[in-house]
Amino acid sequence: MSSIVATTDLTKRYGSTTVVDGLDLAVPEGSVYGFLGPNGSGKSTTMKMLLSLVQPTSGEVLLMERPMNRATRRGLLAHVGSLIEAPPGYGHLTGRENLRLAQRLLGLSERQVDQAVRTVRLQDHLDKKVRNYSLGMKQRLGIALALAREPRLLILDEPTNGLDPAGIEEIRELMRRLASRGTTIMVSSHLLGEIDKTATFLGILSQGRLIFQGSRADLFQAATPDVVLRCSDPPAAHRLLAARVPSTLTGQELHLAGLGDHHVAACVDTLVSHRIGVFDVRRREQSLEDVFRDLTAGGRL
Amino acid sequence: MRTVRAETLKLRRSTAWVVVLLLPVAVAFMACLNTLTSGEPLEDGWHTLWVRVAGFHALFPLALGVALLASLMWRPEHKGGNWNALMGGPTTSGSIVWAKTVTLWLLTLTMQAVLLVLVVAVGRLAFGLDGFLPGQYLVATVVSGIGVLPLVALQSALSLFVRSFAGPVAIALVGAGASVVAQQMAGDLALLSPYSVATRTLHLSSGVFGDAGTLAPGIVTLLVGASLAWLLVINTVGARVLDGRDVRV
Repeated sequence: MSSIVATTDLTKRYGSTTVVDGLDLAVPEGSVYGFLGPNGSGKSTTMKMLLSLVQPTSGEVLLMERPMNRATRRGLLAHVGSLIEAPPGYGHLTGRENLRLAQRLLGLSERQVDQAVRTVRLQDHLDKKVRNYSLGMKQRLGIALALAREPRLLILDEPTNGLDPAGIEEIRELMRRLASRGTTIMVSSHLLGEIDKTATFLGILSQGRLIFQGSRADLFQAATPDVVLRCSDPPAAHRLLAARVPSTLTGQELHLAGLGDHHVAACVDTLVSHRIGVFDVRRREQSLEDVFRDLTAGGRL
Repeated sequence: MRTVRAETLKLRRSTAWVVVLLLPVAVAFMACLNTLTSGEPLEDGWHTLWVRVAGFHALFPLALGVALLASLMWRPEHKGGNWNALMGGPTTSGSIVWAKTVTLWLLTLTMQAVLLVLVVAVGRLAFGLDGFLPGQYLVATVVSGIGVLPLVALQSALSLFVRSFAGPVAIALVGAGASVVAQQMAGDLALLSPYSVATRTLHLSSGVFGDAGTLAPGIVTLLVGASLAWLLVINTVGARVLDGRDVRV
């Protein structure tokens, strides 16, 4: 699978503050790439560098396998739709006029504009002035404006920010529909739950550094869940194991952190050889939220 | 051309039209009021009227009007996500700069046309002048259509780079005032200021503010040349700077 967005050692510094630190992003073509991180972790700045709205201090951006810089950007941007921070739109014009403007500017066909409008389901609100739109409608108009040029890549910066649950679900559904048509979507959020079910690929940013990048399955694998163990003599088992692995005794259960499969087997072996009966060994169920929280709290994997 | 057509669409329901209509009306009204209250009649008929209306308009209201139009035209681009969309789209920085300049120029020409119509209307209706505005002033108006280009390009560039609405307007007032003084002191050397070029073309053949009172081909050529040179320099530099700049983080 080729990368539609690839960066090497992408870095942005303002004075002595490093906002984005040596990112090697790889967004597979056709994926929904969830770009996650707490507020202020550098997501927006990274997206702005991908679009050449902001020039990197060092490092390189490749879009569609071509270098993205001030000399090449306008040509490449013809294939990229974006929504960064607040949605665009001229408040004194109606939705329809805003779309016609984009149509004239980019030489788009009626069909392209119609399709974009239907995709975001805005067809019933086109004769209203944009300044009277709700935030959700503005957001949808912004996406329609980005979609009308039929981009290969769509970059959306926190598109669900400020939306009510229905609006959030609508954006999710929209991303799924676009992805099924082959558009690559890179979408940022500080809330995992918002893009969890939509994203096929995840990149997690913390304090300007990429602490994880891969599929959802990879993420679960990378963050090893705790092992929960029940046995005939928990305090004795705890004494035996605590010397070798991080162990906590919670009621009748023993929680062992960061154990690989072979270590689990070795622990069971130790307990059995000390004549402690092992009833039950399992991995604690972990939500993506837990993993995300663990990763961002630790600052690294 | 596509970008200019898109720009003109943005002018729908724009406050810019109020400026295009009301600024010349205010200028003509003040000129009338001056003439009536001062008790000084239009000694030289159309010539005096032209100097009082267009001559006054050229001193600072023209720059004020163009500055207001430029700020009104750029204001929506600085709002919400429009700046990111503008810089994140395929339209080149050069096209953006030139399309805005052409649009502002068309607005300015309309404003000048309104002023011309008002001068004729005031002359005929308010002061009962016979005949029509002398042909030399029509020529001056046409030349001023080119002469406003440096002013138009400069104000558009200022409102592009300065997000504040009032900042570029204040700069225009100071620039226009300083240029009038420069014209008095240094003559046509003042054409080194973009503001002077517009003022100077509207004073053509009027015999005031250092004008010789005739339509000499020499000065007309100089003005047209200076206008086009300013336009080219301002827009080339403007597009270059815009292309190198980052959006605000």
